[in-house]
Amino acid sequence: MSRQQSINSSQTAASATAQSPLSRSFKATGEDVWKRTEKINAELFTLTYGAIVSQLCTDYGRDFTKINEQLFQMGYSIGVRLIEDFLARTALPRCQDMQETSEALSKCAFKVFLNITPRVTNWSSTKDTFSLIIDENPLSDFVELPMDAMEQLWYSNVLCGVLKGALEMVQLDCDVFFVSDILRGDQQTELRVKLNKVLKDEIPIGED
Amino acid sequence: MNGYTVGENGTNSGMTEQHQFQLFEESLRKVNKLVFQMLINEIIPLSMSVERKLEKSNDEEVSSNMSKLDVNEDSNTTNLLKDIVPSNQLIHDLLDTKDEDKYNKVIDRVRNIGFQVGNKLSELLIFTNNPNLQFKDMDILLIMKFVCRDVWKQLYGKQIDNLKTNHRGTFYLFDYDYPPIREFCIEENALKKELKLVEPFLEFPVGIIKGVLASLGYPPEQVICLATFVDRPNNDIPDTSFAKGISFHIQITTQNNQ
Amino acid sequence: MAIESILIINKSGGLIYQRNFSESFASKLNSNDFLIIASTIHSVFAITSQITPKALQITQNNVDYVIPYIPMVGMENSNPQQNRNSNVPVKLGSYKGPDFFKEPFISWNKSGLRQLSTDQFTMYIYQTMTGLKFVALSSNVLSNNAGTTMTGSIDRTKAVNIASQVADNFLRKIYCLYGDYVMKDPFYSMEMPIKSELFDKAVKRMVNNLL
Repeated sequence: MSRQQSINSSQTAASATAQSPLSRSFKATGEDVWKRTEKINAELFTLTYGAIVSQLCTDYGRDFTKINEQLFQMGYSIGVRLIEDFLARTALPRCQDMQETSEALSKCAFKVFLNITPRVTNWSSTKDTFSLIIDENPLSDFVELPMDAMEQLWYSNVLCGVLKGALEMVQLDCDVFFVSDILRGDQQTELRVKLNKVLKDEIPIGED
Repeated sequence: MNGYTVGENGTNSGMTEQHQFQLFEESLRKVNKLVFQMLINEIIPLSMSVERKLEKSNDEEVSSNMSKLDVNEDSNTTNLLKDIVPSNQLIHDLLDTKDEDKYNKVIDRVRNIGFQVGNKLSELLIFTNNPNLQFKDMDILLIMKFVCRDVWKQLYGKQIDNLKTNHRGTFYLFDYDYPPIREFCIEENALKKELKLVEPFLEFPVGIIKGVLASLGYPPEQVICLATFVDRPNNDIPDTSFAKGISFHIQITTQNNQ
Repeated sequence: MAIESILIINKSGGLIYQRNFSESFASKLNSNDFLIIASTIHSVFAITSQITPKALQITQNNVDYVIPYIPMVGMENSNPQQNRNSNVPVKLGSYKGPDFFKEPFISWNKSGLRQLSTDQFTMYIYQTMTGLKFVALSSNVLSNNAGTTMTGSIDRTKAVNIASQVADNFLRKIYCLYGDYVMKDPFYSMEMPIKSELFDKAVKRMVNNLL
């Protein structure tokens, strides 16, 4: 594929010394864009999100299934809008497979918006499902959950919604969900992204 | 009514302290301002969405209690979106609601979220040893200056433009360029209906102010806070901003607190 | 490059934004004309994409889609005459200046219509990964006389390329404004016409800086 080669060659030129040219490029883009955006204190963000979750707990009388759903929907509404800003800022080319998508999410998207780079791991054998391990989660810093919430609440579920909405806008139909969370007493916070299908009919004409 | 300029540096503290505080602020962890903006934009539609769902589930409970059985622990996340309503639609629905009780419930929810933010935020600001704060002799005027300067700066990256008081518990805080609504689309000759759409968004900062005051000894039942649109005093605000300024009218109902 | 008109077309071919910036041919068209133009562009774009690959196979098989970064296109300081208040920091919404981006980038539009030249105007199209099309109509035309000699024809190709690169830089910045203004307006309904005055003003400023 000639197009593929031309993309790769331009990126190799920019990062001749790196082991993986593409991943180096995501990293550089993410860091560069992060530097050039306006920022606020992470703690302010944390406590605002905390206030929203705690209000939902009051409203839904600790029906955590409903809270998870509400957070997911809020995330989705954010994601479908945030993706346009993300693409305008980064101008990332379309990812050729989920491996590239995972790198773009971790090194670019999470970096640009939350200043973290989750680890990508736990690939399925079909290479269409992976996990993001979030070590430092700015949504849940210093948060402790009561016992009943620990069993059912996905505190940071807004992230799943954001990814769901954003990926859908670039024609990737995915399921995005948490499988574990430090807040629940788990070893790590693991977010799973599973590709259902590429919405080929919706990819804008003219990309290839 | 006396006018105060809020913009000056704390006169009691030296420049080095200010500088150190600034360096400290810069060293704190940050996130992209845009995600914060997106999050607070969603507070109104979220509160409306909750209201609709609570109404709906009340109706359903009367008809059947069977729905509790479906365990939603599977990984199909598309299901979670089956009843989603676009955020802009929810905001319009809130405006169009004829049910005053329902409207107030949504607004209360927004205020509560703001209240919790304000409450925790003032703790946060006090813990960071801001040299502007001397809590030994903190009277209500100093607290208001704290809101105008430190709280606003932390939240919105700017200070309140003007603070007025009658020294009897009434305060007016003017923000002529309130940042969270800068990008809101209102047509030039701002129609009443469109300003009404923006009004709920002012309840979040109202909640914040009440939350900050509560954390410093003025419980919510002693504080009235109302936000209204005002015209700008002059035209030096860039034309890339929302058409109106905001006035926060704060009334402390009980004097000699504590 | 003098911009006469800007259009934004959503992924289904609907016109969601259109503004004229001068009293030119574009201002003689009414809103209905522009709706038709938008859906025509949408269709022609798709047709172009259908016929492009074959044309490419014949001429060259390794096309470079990288758009070079052209500094400060459409920015406040790009025009020396307007540089009087240069000590006032330029406000770029949530972007930290002086420019929206500063790296070369790869065009998402690989086989669709990118540029249409007539002896009246030139049209440039920038398409995003989400399927939005940003269209600029410019009154600049490249003189045909330049093509009479061998070197003239090379110069002309060069000029066409540069103009197209400037347009891509410029239209990506309009996309940045779209992300920063339109997407932050909670009243905006996705895929629907943009009514934001602030977006309007920001676009207008950028167009004026380009003169």
